[in-house]
Amino acid sequence: MKIVVLVKQVPDSGAERNLRPDDNTVDRSSANNVINEMDEYAIEEALRLQEAHGGEVTILTMGPERASESIRKALSMGPDGAVHVLDNALSGTDALGTSRVLAAALQRINPDVVLCGAESTDAGGQVLPHMLAERLGIAALTGARKLTVEGSQLTIERQTEEGYEVVTAATPAVVSVWDTINEPRYPSFKGIMAAKKKPVETLSLADLGVSAEQVGWTGALTGVASHSKRPPRSAGQKVADSGEGGVQLVEFLTNEKFV
Amino acid sequence: MNFVESTEQLELRKAVAAMAQGFGKDYFRTEAREGRSGREIWLEAGRLGYLGVNLPEKFGGGGAGIYELALVLEELAASGCPLLMMVVSPAICGTIISRFGTEEQKEQWLPGIADGSKIMAFAITEPDAGSNAHQITTTAHPAPDGGWLLSGRKVFISGVDHADAVMVVGRTSSAEGYLRPALFIVPTADIEYQPIAMELVSTEKQFMVFLDEVALPASAIVGGADADLQQLFAGLNPERIMAAAFSVGLGRYALARAAAYMKERSVWGTPIGAHQGLAHPLAQAAIEIELAKLMMQKAACLYDSGDDRAAGEAANMAKYAAAEAAVRAVDQAVHSLGGNGMTVEYGLAHLVNVARVSRVAPVSREMILNFVAQQKLGLPKSY
Ligand SMILES: Cc1cc2nc3c(=O)[nH]c(=O)nc-3n(C[C@H](O)[C@H](O)[C@H](O)COP(=O)(O)OP(=O)(O)OC[C@H]3O[C@@H](n4cnc5c(N)ncnc54)[C@H](O)[C@@H]3O)c2cc1C
Repeated sequence: MKIVVLVKQVPDSGAERNLRPDDNTVDRSSANNVINEMDEYAIEEALRLQEAHGGEVTILTMGPERASESIRKALSMGPDGAVHVLDNALSGTDALGTSRVLAAALQRINPDVVLCGAESTDAGGQVLPHMLAERLGIAALTGARKLTVEGSQLTIERQTEEGYEVVTAATPAVVSVWDTINEPRYPSFKGIMAAKKKPVETLSLADLGVSAEQVGWTGALTGVASHSKRPPRSAGQKVADSGEGGVQLVEFLTNEKFV
Repeated sequence: MNFVESTEQLELRKAVAAMAQGFGKDYFRTEAREGRSGREIWLEAGRLGYLGVNLPEKFGGGGAGIYELALVLEELAASGCPLLMMVVSPAICGTIISRFGTEEQKEQWLPGIADGSKIMAFAITEPDAGSNAHQITTTAHPAPDGGWLLSGRKVFISGVDHADAVMVVGRTSSAEGYLRPALFIVPTADIEYQPIAMELVSTEKQFMVFLDEVALPASAIVGGADADLQQLFAGLNPERIMAAAFSVGLGRYALARAAAYMKERSVWGTPIGAHQGLAHPLAQAAIEIELAKLMMQKAACLYDSGDDRAAGEAANMAKYAAAEAAVRAVDQAVHSLGGNGMTVEYGLAHLVNVARVSRVAPVSREMILNFVAQQKLGLPKSY
């Protein structure tokens, strides 16, 4: 089984994150950049599939030069190799453009299963898995909390607010996962040492047959017009309980349309 | 000289810290308080190859050096999970066996020490010898079958209850009555031991060990009967380096806990961390920890380069500096939390004693000062 895991480098969600004042993009220079948390679950799931069914796991990343740190970190968990789409013209690419580039890269690799996180901690759009499936004309099994494979049949439990739905599809398919699906492994010392020896193929837009106008700032169909800091939290409303505190709480919740 | 750690070393730091934080300081403290050994984190660290980074790849290790092993222990301790037996099992026993052991001993012990499935304790201290290792009286007499009968007493031996074997420092007596130092691998099942009640919250207990004519095969001697003990003691440098790593990590942990508290706690309208009376001593402690760490790294680099002699001096100095720095860092951290510093909930007060351990073990502060006074300064000896 040929598995590709999409890995995105994002600013650490545990630290303060900012948008750049000049072009409204995520400021990656000051931030501690890490693997998007949900992607680690996708890597773990891929490795488990590989352990159970054999095959090969490849990391696919689109990102600037320093995304290679995240590729190496991902490889230290155990995957066999990586593809890094790296091109200056990619700066400013929106989700549609990203899906165009990744779809082109996936067509080259031709995997049975594409695994990815259900969302990224910086953009949080949750759209990429669907866009990819659409562009590739394959099934999208999104939001999985469990994945089982029998032959070429994939079954997921899609996590919903009330419970879960069982969704099945045949390979090839895109599967996006939530952090409920497994517990990602820590890189072993051998994994860390092996990571630098694993093959990382670097591809440009030209290699993928995607023109620069289709991506980057020029190709973006969406844009951020402006941004401002989240306003400081206003002081809450204190409810003193002198017998009817419960009533006041419910009134508050009703007014705020929580109930 | 190079002060830049490799990508692999940095990644190893991150991986070990993430693993230890996955278990968490509360897990570790509960294990210690309830008299357990932290078996789960020990085995996980072993499975991931962290415990055996320094051991040869041929025997299941990572093929790296004491630098990497020290880094592992430092990160574990900095995350609140100081695995003391790392000083003993992979660092002392693992090093000695891989440098001086027979092929058979390597095959029997190293893979298990590397993956954590086997633990070897180390026993040198004796009730009547203490800091004076020349006074050791534990003796092996030749047995008729070609093996040895080992007798003696050891004290303060860590982790015997969870160890598969104890590496015992003793001497061999020959027919002429000549006594030669030697190391023996003694299965724990063959010895008697008793816990010593310690005022320590630790995942390791200390034991008195009684060896009463323990029958050992000839192959129990590390490196065979002709092994050179000078060499064996050179194999003890990793012990000092690891003791330093333990202290540095412990110090970092205390400093981080204190700094976090000092940013939040406010009694005069400004966080207490803004008061220089608290900020400066903590900053001072941070500098001392950093300096000790640098010496530890120097010692590890020298050791890994194969220079046992130069490593010896640096390792002793690093162990001394790190223990002193950790004692002060923990003391200042506890104080910075006011009354909370003394509570069980905030988890710092018990570290006062834990930090002091490295002042006396594996070699006391005074014996290091003696060593430096005599070796480096050429001063006369008082004993
Ligand atoms: C928690 C803990 C774990 C330990 N684990 C182990 C273990 O796993 N294996 C093992 O073999 N041992 C272990 N030890 C023992 C430890 O190595 C010894 O306690 C240490 O070497 C000191 O020996 P001692 O206790 O006999 O002290 P002593 O030698 O009696 O010393 C008492 C005091 O006198 C000072 N002193 C002694 N001689 C001189 C001198 N010439 N000049 C100036 N001052 C001097 C010492 O510095 C010390 O302060 C452990 C000890 C502790 C506390």
